Amino acid sequence: MPAHWTEETALKGRGHRSLGRRWRRVSARSVIGRGPSRDGTGAVIGRWDPAAAARNPRKVSASCMGRRRRRVDRGAAVGALPEAIAALSRTLPAGPSPEIFRRAKFDRPEAAPALWQLLFRVLSPLSANGASAPAAQEAQVRVVKSELHSQGYPRRALAQLPEDGSQGSRELLLALAWLLARGPLLERLLAQTRVRLGDEIPLCECEALARPGPPVPRVEADGPVDIRHLQWLMGKLRFQWRKLITSQQEQCALLGKIHSYTRGCHSDRSLGHLSVAETELLRDAEGGQQLLRSLESENVRLEAALHWRRQELVFWLWMDTVLGTCPPEASQPTFVPRIPERGAGEWELVARELQALREELRGAAEPRRAAWEARVGGWGPEWSAVQRASREAVGLELAALQRAWERGGAAAQPHGPCRLVKSDAGASGGPGLRAAQVIEVLRSREACLEAVLCQLQRQCRQELARLVGALPGLIWILPPGR
Amino acid sequence: MLPADCSRRLVAELRDALDACAERQRQLERSLRVSRRLLRTWEPAETPAPQPTPASETSGEAPSPESTPSPQDLKELELLTQALEKAVRVRKGISKTGERHKALSLKSGSAATSATTASAPSRASGQASCRVSETKPPRGIQQTVVPARGLPECRLLSVGDRTRMGRGSRATKPGPGPRDQQIPPSAALQAPEAFTLKEKGILLRLPMAYRKAASRNSRLWAQLSSTQTSDSVDAAATAKTQFLQKMQMTSGGPGSGLSAAAVEAEVGLLRTACSLLRRRMEEVLSADPADCMQEYRCLLTLEGLQAITEQCLHRLQELRAAVVGQQLGPWPVGRRPGASLPCGGGTDPIWSPQLLLYSSTQELQTLEALRLRVAMLDQQIHLEKVLMAELLPLVGTQRPHWLALCRAVHSLLCEGGERFLTVLRDEPAD
Repeated sequence: MPAHWTEETALKGRGHRSLGRRWRRVSARSVIGRGPSRDGTGAVIGRWDPAAAARNPRKVSASCMGRRRRRVDRGAAVGALPEAIAALSRTLPAGPSPEIFRRAKFDRPEAAPALWQLLFRVLSPLSANGASAPAAQEAQVRVVKSELHSQGYPRRALAQLPEDGSQGSRELLLALAWLLARGPLLERLLAQTRVRLGDEIPLCECEALARPGPPVPRVEADGPVDIRHLQWLMGKLRFQWRKLITSQQEQCALLGKIHSYTRGCHSDRSLGHLSVAETELLRDAEGGQQLLRSLESENVRLEAALHWRRQELVFWLWMDTVLGTCPPEASQPTFVPRIPERGAGEWELVARELQALREELRGAAEPRRAAWEARVGGWGPEWSAVQRASREAVGLELAALQRAWERGGAAAQPHGPCRLVKSDAGASGGPGLRAAQVIEVLRSREACLEAVLCQLQRQCRQELARLVGALPGLIWILPPGR
Repeated sequence: MLPADCSRRLVAELRDALDACAERQRQLERSLRVSRRLLRTWEPAETPAPQPTPASETSGEAPSPESTPSPQDLKELELLTQALEKAVRVRKGISKTGERHKALSLKSGSAATSATTASAPSRASGQASCRVSETKPPRGIQQTVVPARGLPECRLLSVGDRTRMGRGSRATKPGPGPRDQQIPPSAALQAPEAFTLKEKGILLRLPMAYRKAASRNSRLWAQLSSTQTSDSVDAAATAKTQFLQKMQMTSGGPGSGLSAAAVEAEVGLLRTACSLLRRRMEEVLSADPADCMQEYRCLLTLEGLQAITEQCLHRLQELRAAVVGQQLGPWPVGRRPGASLPCGGGTDPIWSPQLLLYSSTQELQTLEALRLRVAMLDQQIHLEKVLMAELLPLVGTQRPHWLALCRAVHSLLCEGGERFLTVLRDEPAD
């Protein structure tokens, strides 16, 4: 009998302890590199894949699908698969039970709805506060499909799944694993729904951009509009900004007061004073209770995430087997559902800008080159060494410039949300950013943007002057300049 | 009138901008409401209390008793009041005596019972001296007198059923019974005053459960964000990459490696590239070359920039071809197009917030004003580009009301919609 079959019977008969003792010494590393389980037939419905169990040292109880937790207290033993999956679903919003995962491996239809819902919650960027009513099944399916497609999900079987959400649990399981493997999905989800204990300001807009607000259903203006409507909208926008800035100033004043009135109240010395959320907790007991509850549930999720991190290797090995049970894909192009979009406007803008820039550069460089050649024509060979040195230097500068956008290299920019703490100017050594620094950075950025805007306006003025200058008989009186 | 498709696009853009602004305003209004409420006088607790206080007539807020107290409760209340009065006298004595009493109450008090006992440990940490204690006039519980820090506990005490709050004290049930005898070492009987943050904010203390949960929370976040490598982490990373490769192989597709999201990201990078290149070009053009060397360098830089721009354009064409040709699906609408991310978006994401220290309200206001101004400028630049792209071609063609259109376009594009120019006809005199 092959070796693993004996293990299988051992699984049936014994409890977990014997297994654990036997494979205690096998470290995680030794398990990598083995191919996926080829023993599809050996998998008995109702149990975990015993062949995989034979290779993975883990404590698997014979009645495998409980959520019972065993403490991993043996040396380098990798934890149990159900345990890892249980940790994973505790971390995820609307995480299904490990039983669903197991059924999904065998593509059971009853596992599909839960997985559709899970993927919907993971992929749809909003409803962090659960504001929107749960979407209909078809809508969920569509959103999941289009979002996965736009992120580049390689398998086409997903797009072919029926929209009533009744099938495809194995494919969904693969999709979930794909999302998990590609990036820090769990951390991102946790950060999105993070309980905000302090008074925070976002220093850069990247979080706001990554998490768009709920799309406002808007009736588009169908007919042609007069340009005065546009002027009106612009004016409204200007006014809204002014109002916003005023409100923000008021909020800052109130924050300053609250921070100074609660000086010395916080147990954490580095913070020193209470934030609005914390003061509100003290004022309103019920709201505070709610805050405490959400904080505790977030702690549970965080711990589950850390637990998952320690044990995820087992999951990946198992996913290999899941992938193995899939039939290979036929390579036919499938029809991709399209959602009407607003056109390649973004691309057009960038293309236009780059083209304009190219023209300007050509206009600047060509005459200079001609003039230079005329001057340098007769110069001697000692010049060429100098030329070469210059070329190298310029080459290096330009390479550095290219790196600046390719790698998003402006890492010196302060980034991410920050918790406001009022502290007297003395603290120069502690952790955290200083407002003065951030103000400097913002000022330079403001100057930069103003320059860009001015330049664009100048460009417009020139262009307009050119267009209207063709008509004689008109005098254009510009408004008094700034 | 503008043509229909142009109108639709422009109105959509402007409405997007207005919506974004309105969203910010909404969030700000919410925060303002909360902050204003905190700075006002704090209302007494809303929930009706099980029994009224006989001493409530001294309270400033004059709550109305919800039910008549039982005689036994009244008696116990009297006992408590007397005990507390005695405590005031005792406390006015030597502090050492106070220490002893503290110790006594600490030992004899278990977790439950009076709020003051629970607050003793916090006081024992050697904080400031006894402050004026205030009472929170509850709506009809015994007049609770509590030492300075115990305000939150006091609130618990006042609303008898709020036991769940685990603040290190359990609310006494109405009628403390024999536990009255535990004399809180420091308590002062005072006329209850309304609580305002300004006067008594320093006396607040956070509840124990919250403190524990919050510190655990920050610890867990720190652990989650730390990227330490260990055997298991590396192994998992390897397993993940292998899994992804296998997925790619078994999918049987062309696997161009380009997804719509990746295309969108690249277009964004190219936008940033364009602005950086332009900035460098302007630097070069505005600098006066002092000698031959510098002139040569300027020339080389300009030519190098030109070459890079060509590369970028080429890449853009490739991306376009990829989207169209490989059925990557609908062109990604993008989250909010037009904002160039200075941080690149690809740097290490920070999962939990860092601290930002400010020293005065003016500084904070300056910071926020600048932040909003930068966001506004970003939006303005984006709108400017969109308007330029749509409106300038219209000016180029003859249309009815062309003059009015020109004037409006000029004001929108060149003056930000704030000022208008005047057009005069230059009629010959005769």
